[in-house]
Amino acid sequence: MKFFDRLEKIDRRIIFFLVGLAVIIPLIIPLGLPVDITGPVQDVFDRVEELPEGSIVVVSCDYDPGSEAELSPATAAFLEHCFRKNLRVYMMGLWPAGPELGNLALESIAPTYGKVYGVDYINIGYRPGGPVMLVSLGRDFTDLVRADYAGVPIDSFPLGRAVKSARDIDLVMTLSAGDPGVLHWIIYFSARYGTEIATATTAIMAPQQYPYLSSGQLIGLLGGLKGAAEYETLVDKKARAVAGMDSQSIVHLLLVVFIVIGNIILLYQKRRK
Amino acid sequence: MSTEIGVWIAALLTLAIYSFLYKDNPFYKVAENIFVGVSAGYWAVILWFNYAWPNLFEPLIMRGSVIYLIPIIVGLMMFAPLIPRVSWLIRIPLTFTMGVAMALVILQRIQGEIFPQLQATFLPLSGVSPMQLISNLLIIFGVLSTLVYFYFSKAHRGVLGVFAKLGIWFMMVAFGASFGYTVMARISLLIGRVYFLLHNWLQLI
Repeated sequence: MKFFDRLEKIDRRIIFFLVGLAVIIPLIIPLGLPVDITGPVQDVFDRVEELPEGSIVVVSCDYDPGSEAELSPATAAFLEHCFRKNLRVYMMGLWPAGPELGNLALESIAPTYGKVYGVDYINIGYRPGGPVMLVSLGRDFTDLVRADYAGVPIDSFPLGRAVKSARDIDLVMTLSAGDPGVLHWIIYFSARYGTEIATATTAIMAPQQYPYLSSGQLIGLLGGLKGAAEYETLVDKKARAVAGMDSQSIVHLLLVVFIVIGNIILLYQKRRK
Repeated sequence: MSTEIGVWIAALLTLAIYSFLYKDNPFYKVAENIFVGVSAGYWAVILWFNYAWPNLFEPLIMRGSVIYLIPIIVGLMMFAPLIPRVSWLIRIPLTFTMGVAMALVILQRIQGEIFPQLQATFLPLSGVSPMQLISNLLIIFGVLSTLVYFYFSKAHRGVLGVFAKLGIWFMMVAFGASFGYTVMARISLLIGRVYFLLHNWLQLI
């Protein structure tokens, strides 16, 4: 069959072009496909809902610009929820660029809820040292954190000394793109100090988190852009993640078609031989 | 269209990188080399200001704590293989690093990963809903059969063979899930870049 022979030798740039179109068109002309809420995302939302006003949430931005597309929407949606619930936010990061990226979301969302830096939220910046640092942080926050991300002494802020050890933290949300990240928080912080951990991870990392969800070591999970879109839907602040979901669905559909066609060609080749 | 210079630079570099999809070209090469250079400079600054200066040189130079000479000397021993006569010195920092890492990692891995994960496979098979029972059985058989597959001291025949085969099936499902999520992740990154081009740069959406 000439048709299959032609498909077999198709220029891969045509596939790139089709994938590009499948991303661009739904972004310009949204389809409004529904975003279903999955259990692990609902669990994170419910836990935040249960926290009393003034609770302290550590938001650890453990990512860099390479995974910004997946994790910044989750950061924004989660912060939106925290401020709406009047929770106090401690932002930090195990990756150098993480707190800077998180700060963009903090600076745009906090003022809309009338939140004041140093009173309702604070950014303590990049915390190097991985496992050793996390163990020390949980034992004695004050010894390790002496200044915020801009180098201003932490004692000059009312919120600066609200956390003395892991006991004062009600929830840790780690937005994780790899190592160090969620696994470090589970093993070196939660297992030692018993603090609850929620996570938003890149989609690649998401399947690896299910055993920790199953064992109760994680209270919930936002997996990739889809998880962020679900959280945006839950907090009723549809933004970048929800906008990307139409494209995501159309591309997935296209890839399924490609896989089916590829397998048909493979079967045809086998029969011909 | 954006009037910010930073947005323009980011947009043009994005397009230069994506131009590789058509074929290799000078624009791609320029963007690639800029990325490598900027990354190297960025990490040099990060390592100096977050590790070397606050943890070593600042206490040594500004506070005169001579005890910090010890980590400097031990650190320099990492370069010992460059001089064959004293290459054995590298064993000292390596042994120290391995000792600390093992003390930290082994205990915490057992406490934070192995025990809780083992505990999570002790699941009830009675007094639960039918769906929960199926879920629990899947976890128990999934763990056991996958472990059996990695048991190499006996030929995978008979009951052991059936279990090992079941283990392969469970692993295939896991690999399939991982592949699906990987595709999703890559497309999400593409969406992020296209969104940036359409929203921040061209301001079409």
